[in-house]
Amino acid sequence: MSAVSLAEPVPLHRGGTVLMRPTIIPGFRLTLGITVTYLSVIVLLPLAALAVKAAGLGFGGLWTALATERVLSAFKVSFGLSLVGAAVNAVAGLLVAWVLVRYRFPGKRIIDAFVDLPFALPTAVAGIALTALYAPNGWVGALLKDWFGMKVAFTPLGIAIALTFIGLPFVVRTVEPVLQDLPPEEEEAAACLGASRWQTFRHVILPALMPALLTGFALAFARGVGEYGSVIFIAGNMPGVTEIAPLLIVIKLEQYDFAGAAAVGMLMLLVSFAMLLVLNLLQAWMRRRHAR
Amino acid sequence: MPGEAHASRSTLVEPLWLRAALIVAALAFLGLFLLLPLTVVFVEALKRGVGAYWNALQEPDALSAIKLTLMTAGIAVPLNLLFGVCASWCIAKFDFHGKHLLITLIDLPFSVSPVISGMVYVLLFGLNGLLGPWLREHDVQIIFALPGLVLATIFVTFPFVARELIPLMQEQGTEEEEAAIVLGASGWQTFWRVTLPNIKWGLLYGVLLCNARAMGEFGAVSVVSGHIRGETNTMPLHVEILYNEYNFVAAFAVASVLALLALVTLAAKTVLEWRFGHELAATRRGG
Amino acid sequence: MGLRLSGISKRFGDYQALDTVDLEVRTGELLALLGPSGSGKTTLLRIMAGLEQPDTGSLQLHGEEALGLKPRERGVGFVFQHYALFRHMTVLDNVAFGLKVRPRGERLPNAEIRRRVEELLRLVQLAPFADRYPAQLSGGQRQRVALARALAIEPKVLLLDEPFGALDAKVRKELRRWLRGLHDEMHITSVFVTHDQEEALELADRVVVMSQGRIEQVGTPAEVYDNPASTFVYEFLGQVNRLDCVVDGGIAALAGGALRVATGDPVQGPAVAFIRPHDVTLSPDPEGPGNVLGVVTVGPQARIEVGLAGQILEAEMPRDRLAQIGLRLGHRCAVQIERVRAFPRV
Repeated sequence: MSAVSLAEPVPLHRGGTVLMRPTIIPGFRLTLGITVTYLSVIVLLPLAALAVKAAGLGFGGLWTALATERVLSAFKVSFGLSLVGAAVNAVAGLLVAWVLVRYRFPGKRIIDAFVDLPFALPTAVAGIALTALYAPNGWVGALLKDWFGMKVAFTPLGIAIALTFIGLPFVVRTVEPVLQDLPPEEEEAAACLGASRWQTFRHVILPALMPALLTGFALAFARGVGEYGSVIFIAGNMPGVTEIAPLLIVIKLEQYDFAGAAAVGMLMLLVSFAMLLVLNLLQAWMRRRHAR
Repeated sequence: MPGEAHASRSTLVEPLWLRAALIVAALAFLGLFLLLPLTVVFVEALKRGVGAYWNALQEPDALSAIKLTLMTAGIAVPLNLLFGVCASWCIAKFDFHGKHLLITLIDLPFSVSPVISGMVYVLLFGLNGLLGPWLREHDVQIIFALPGLVLATIFVTFPFVARELIPLMQEQGTEEEEAAIVLGASGWQTFWRVTLPNIKWGLLYGVLLCNARAMGEFGAVSVVSGHIRGETNTMPLHVEILYNEYNFVAAFAVASVLALLALVTLAAKTVLEWRFGHELAATRRGG
Repeated sequence: MGLRLSGISKRFGDYQALDTVDLEVRTGELLALLGPSGSGKTTLLRIMAGLEQPDTGSLQLHGEEALGLKPRERGVGFVFQHYALFRHMTVLDNVAFGLKVRPRGERLPNAEIRRRVEELLRLVQLAPFADRYPAQLSGGQRQRVALARALAIEPKVLLLDEPFGALDAKVRKELRRWLRGLHDEMHITSVFVTHDQEEALELADRVVVMSQGRIEQVGTPAEVYDNPASTFVYEFLGQVNRLDCVVDGGIAALAGGALRVATGDPVQGPAVAFIRPHDVTLSPDPEGPGNVLGVVTVGPQARIEVGLAGQILEAEMPRDRLAQIGLRLGHRCAVQIERVRAFPRV
């Protein structure tokens, strides 16, 4: 680091909290002060309020608030269908990333840019658009109904479709750069050793993509669990069947059951963080093992 | 042969039929999941003709929703921009304990459900919230009013600018700033003349994404808004109300404005990536 | 006969990587493709492996036309410059890969695969590392894994792309000797690419010198070193002096006629004389045509720069010999040249 060359790395102990490597660049206290204050006011304090509210219920209160049929099934719907959406994205996203990285065809760059649409399109717009498409009288919904007698909108399938939509860019965007950087020599080595193209993909390419694929999957999953806007229109919101956990929070808030809402919210946060933690550990483990 | 594309490695190319099949499958998936939903917004909006479309947008409630959305984003985005620059300055230019924790905390809002992002403010500032009684005494209204909308919007768009700038500024190191200061520039001059020109495209990129999310946010603002027509309805909330009233043409008309915003954002973002990709952290990390 | 290539050409866009190359690789020999970067040697190797298709020409593998065959059907082992080990597989799995991907009917039972892989790992002295991942190995160890992996499929031809290029000098030397020993034991037809002349001369049975997509010369190390077929080969292999001369009737006149050396080359008139530094003998002589301009010692050897009629000639001799004859900076000396090759001036 260049900072080291200008000043000896003697730890400064000022104010008792911050240990900072000395440098001649100014503004540390000012910017750190603003950052920490802003972060605390906007994010940390409000989240603490949530934790305080939920903790105020006590263990028994939390149990009564959470261990109801409706809450459990809302979690089942949210987590289960997010899993479905993320799984669809893992396969389709891999396909899209593969095609965009490996093949040449007209309009490729535009299509590549277009993949980010779910990030940019407001969720409510996505919600009503998907509902209009998959409703029994919609473009796709009508076809599915006539051909297969399938109902999509206002069923769990509809939720899965909405969650697939909003999770789509995650897998593509995490897999693309890894696929780009994959050394072609490994694939050539496999070809020389007698592997068919499929065997090469299965045993050489796919394992190399696995960490990225897993990351994309988890990001899509985490996003799906918390998703609200794009789901509530297409879901039908039948308690116990197509009611998602975030909607349950909104309903509880509308009924002034703040403690109940806080309990559900807290549980969602805890489960999401636990998942992210497991994912990070898994990735760190993979990276250590296969680091170049 | 450095720089040879995959295409020239003849052994690594699948047979034509397979390539074609994979491309068609990928395009079909993207068409079904991206293109169709986008198209249906505009088709539904224009179903009753351009006149009906235009009238729906001229409606007073729609206009006030547009105004409120612009106002909310107009406050939230500059604040997050300021914060993002401060955070990335102190994280990228200095070495201190707790830096990684700080980065993790800045990213935190991305892993929180939007509904929870709104709820935390209700629990804090709402009538029965922790600070509710005090706020009522002093006649300050946050929830079901503009401050609540702004707070919720800031929360969900909190990381965008910082997340783009931190890796970018870390990569650029501190040498140029140190050189400027050794040459006698003040901290402020150093920032304006040395740092800012280096990060301007990254900054714009972050602001672009931050703004798109700020204007389009639904879940978080839905919780704190109270849905008072003409007063606390942002555009996405107005879309919901119109839709639930079966006023589909109007709902899709307002939605189409938001969809246009999304397309403009995507286009601008793509242009930035194509032209200034090497000056953006996002594209260098590959997405 | 091992491999026969005829009329092989390959273009990458505007760049002619190979220009009608003919080459024969004999069964059981260790052949070096030597040349500077961009000379087409790696492309030629990749064409032998089937990793690249030539634009024209034919390739016969043990008497059979092989250009239509995919790499997997050719029975060649390929060792990549940066090894291209599979990062997510253990050493054992890397070496076993080629055996495990065989079609069901031809695949050996798992126990047999394991036995053979372990045998190979013993051969490359890596048996204790079977369960490690490539990231946990040193460069030399990775190289040997790559070799074991290529040998596992019992290839008829072994192809190695800059096999020691990514290693440091000491490991490189050890591995080189070890590879030579291995080849003497197994006698598998092998071709390796290198840009290091020392490596090619020390290791190979025959050396193919390439430049700009063409073969300059093929021969044993001694042949190409002692009798370079072209100025390129002369300059590429070892140190060489270039002096202007005039050839008349098999006698090259150097330094404006001060030195006359017999040359067997069929050149007449103005020419360039190529002289190896160790073919130059110096002796102190106040009347001599040479003038000692500089002395540099490198280990046991001494390099002496001699001014000769406005041109510079470099001579090489053991350090103690230099001390013996007492030649110093600024002295005049007599110059004797053992051997000269003359090529027409271009």
